[in-house]
Amino acid sequence: MHKLIQWMRRLEGWFGIAAALCIVVGLYMSLVTSPPDYYQGEVVRIMYIHVPFAQTSLTAYFVLFLGSLWYLWKKDPVIDNMCHATAGVAAFFTAGELITGSIWGKPAWNTWWTWDARLTSAFVLLLVLMAYLMLRMFMDDREKEARYAAILAIVGFVDLPIVYFSVEWWRTLHQPLSVSQRGLAISPEMLIPLIVMAVGFYLLFAYMVMIRTRMLYLEHLLEAKKGRLLSQAHL
Amino acid sequence: MTGFYIRWGVILLVALGIGFLGVQRYERDVAAISPDQLLPNPVAEKVRVIGTIQGGSLSKEEEEKRAVFRLQGEKEILSVRYQGEDLDTLRELKVLVISGRWNPETREFDGASLSLIPNYGFVVAAYLIGIVPALLFLYLMERRLALLYNAVKQTKLYEPEVTAVDDR
Repeated sequence: MHKLIQWMRRLEGWFGIAAALCIVVGLYMSLVTSPPDYYQGEVVRIMYIHVPFAQTSLTAYFVLFLGSLWYLWKKDPVIDNMCHATAGVAAFFTAGELITGSIWGKPAWNTWWTWDARLTSAFVLLLVLMAYLMLRMFMDDREKEARYAAILAIVGFVDLPIVYFSVEWWRTLHQPLSVSQRGLAISPEMLIPLIVMAVGFYLLFAYMVMIRTRMLYLEHLLEAKKGRLLSQAHL
Repeated sequence: MTGFYIRWGVILLVALGIGFLGVQRYERDVAAISPDQLLPNPVAEKVRVIGTIQGGSLSKEEEEKRAVFRLQGEKEILSVRYQGEDLDTLRELKVLVISGRWNPETREFDGASLSLIPNYGFVVAAYLIGIVPALLFLYLMERRLALLYNAVKQTKLYEPEVTAVDDR
């Protein structure tokens, strides 16, 4: 068995347990114990789910970018499985970011959607990930598929700093970064549940990637076993 | 697969527990009634009333931290005597939630604290849309992984059949 897969099998359970604990505690803090906001009232609680979705989405794409570089260097099919798995999970978190953000936008800005720089660049990120997943679906040659997908992920990385800095570079409806060089723009009572949820989401992301990578690895292994069985039978 | 289903049963129970605590908190600290519900059946205990401050009815005494206004429901209008913080939050035609008690002697509502419209539907929608698909996604992936693992274990590589060789 591949070393990476062995390593994942050993660690994934711990990541799953830690993610579940952080998210359960985070949900309790964000829904029950954290205070309402002076301006937004109870609606501010959406922040505790929207921001972790957004942060994890960006981290996931960064992992995909690094994984793609690693694949192009090593040409290891298991690294390709990991990239493929990361792209699926990143698409899930990006969609979650956009949907929860849209739900927050309605009471906060009185609109579900606006073509604001942050929202548009995040939407472009989702489109890049969808393109990546579609490319993986429709190509027959597995090696070519992995190479083209890695190149697409590396090119798509251009969007990542745009998403992150859009609220600083342009005047947007979206609020600026809460944690920046200017300092903290959030009270500690709100920051703690946010950190707990964010850590939970990062761990959940890692757990999902491990599960999905093993799933893709086993799919290919089964395919290879069956393929060999079939080719032998046809001899 | 038994361990897998037990694990997911526990996750479901924990999720239901958190949901239950969230609902309790909503009932205790967030849910509000309108003047239309309060005035026909006034109650002595502390309640949260939601309504619009009627235009031309608001008068503030900033130094005393006091305000008097009328809170409008769909049909009924509630007279409110408010004493507390955040007088700046009080504006005519603004929708607010006032916590306090009904005073049967003055037939006025004695407000003690203010809060904004809860909009809890948005909060619930965001959490459900975030958490439920995540659990479903994870459940489907783990199930597929368990099934694949079994399938890989059971699938044997082709081995040529051993045919009886005639030794004669």
